[in-house]
Amino acid sequence: MNRIAPLLVALAFLVSRAGANDAGIAIALTDERVEVDTGFTGARLTLFGAVSGVGDPSTVDIIAIVRGPETRFLIRKLEQRNLIWAPGAARQVENAPGLYISSATRAIADIAPLPDQAAFRLGADHLTISVTPQNGSDETEDGRGEDPPAPDDLYRNAFLTEIEDLGLYRDTVGGVEFKKGGLFAVNVDLPATTPVGDYDVAVYLYQDGLLLGQDAAELSVNKVGLERQIYDLAHDRPVTYGLLCVAIALIAGWVASVAFRK
Amino acid sequence: MQIYLPIAEMPVDPMVIIFMGAAVGFLSGMFGVGGGFLMTPLLIFYGIPPAVAVGTEASQIVASSVSGVLAHLKRKTVDFQMGGFLVLGGGAGAVVGIAIFRHLREAGQVEILISLSYVAFLSVVGGLMLVESARALLRAPEDKPKRRKRRSVAWMAAMPFAMRFRRSQLYISPIPPIALGFCVGVLAAVMGVGGGFIMVPAMLYILNMPTNVVVGTSLFQIIFVTAIATVLHAAANQTVDVILALLLLSGGVIGAQIGARVGVRLKGEQLRALLALIVLAVCARLIIDLTLPPDSLFVIEGAL
Repeated sequence: MNRIAPLLVALAFLVSRAGANDAGIAIALTDERVEVDTGFTGARLTLFGAVSGVGDPSTVDIIAIVRGPETRFLIRKLEQRNLIWAPGAARQVENAPGLYISSATRAIADIAPLPDQAAFRLGADHLTISVTPQNGSDETEDGRGEDPPAPDDLYRNAFLTEIEDLGLYRDTVGGVEFKKGGLFAVNVDLPATTPVGDYDVAVYLYQDGLLLGQDAAELSVNKVGLERQIYDLAHDRPVTYGLLCVAIALIAGWVASVAFRK
Repeated sequence: MQIYLPIAEMPVDPMVIIFMGAAVGFLSGMFGVGGGFLMTPLLIFYGIPPAVAVGTEASQIVASSVSGVLAHLKRKTVDFQMGGFLVLGGGAGAVVGIAIFRHLREAGQVEILISLSYVAFLSVVGGLMLVESARALLRAPEDKPKRRKRRSVAWMAAMPFAMRFRRSQLYISPIPPIALGFCVGVLAAVMGVGGGFIMVPAMLYILNMPTNVVVGTSLFQIIFVTAIATVLHAAANQTVDVILALLLLSGGVIGAQIGARVGVRLKGEQLRALLALIVLAVCARLIIDLTLPPDSLFVIEGAL
């Protein structure tokens, strides 16, 4: 409950602020930080918001976007070599957020005009992702001209398909619930593989294809507790961590052998 | 219930992992084998990234070798001099193995390397075991196997730096044990196995060591080399997941105890045939995964 009380105060403020304009939208997050610990299996993020100055709230549309930190992905195409399917040369995926989830009252295409979709990156298809060959020796075959380089669109589309399968990109219809008055809530389910980092949350208010207002918030996803300590140690002081793993293994093995000694 | 693994960066069902540890522990207790060669493929089938499966399994072998090493130390069935040279070679082999592993990991090919190594290793081991146990099952009971005769080791004594190995009653050069240790060290690093499967026969039939010190000395080598491989995997690749290792261990020690008790009551040759079939089944699954057209033609890697 202690989480909800300040939120309601905040929302009251948001409504009053939004009410000052003709039409507007404002949001607040239940949690401004999501903590990944040893029991983390995904989280439900709830965005609370308010719309004002639009009359009947059921005539408006809302699009909410949760965007993760930009991440360097590589994509490889599997190639058959002597019976075996092995990954080929890597291509680098640029400008890709580590996570992208949109929630909307209806299909985004029915809500916002195309220029807006492109400008605000509404929907995973509108992300400005580009895939480029990695500069390195593994692209030498292109130089010979035998194998024409695959169009980057192929890789871009493959990347979007794959990352949707991984649950990291998602366009959802529904999940936006209107409450009493101009209040609404958006539930966003973050997957267990949610990357850590700083997130942007944005909402857009539309009516009859016209943008009436927008608001943004920030969110951070952090590893905490034992989970974080292990991860940090393993990456910051890997030799110490390795020695520690060996020590733990020796002690555990010794304890087991003592425990089962007749 | 699910537990999030800090290094593999994925949630797993701890009961499934503990059960897998117990099942492999059961087999290793029953047959007196290490079990790393079954555990790593099982982890990969479950969905653990192959590199993490290999690195973590190395640390688990350290733990599961402790009780064996202690027992052999107490019985004084370890040839420390021989073991020292094996560890020397094994440490160097692990360094080379990790370097290969790291290089291929950066090139995105390490999963193929691990799978192919396992296919080669498991098909040879499983095939030999199956033939051996089938032969034993068909053989008339009065037809006892011949006593092993220790052959001459003159060719190894002729190599440089020949010395006396008192405990093993040998006069040979340390070069063959170092070379053997090296090969097993590379395998340990690349595959996440202890390598006892190769080490024991090689010690018996190539180095001609007496049977009573072979197992103790091989365990002595394994615990050092897997410990070195664990530290190197952690340092070079950050692929040792301590939570995963502890889950596997807790299942493994229980399984091994039950397995050891069940093993003494069952007939050896039938058991060996069964293990051979399990090994070949795992191998077949790996071959299928390698050769069947994949569901998707693209793979994504996160930032390395």
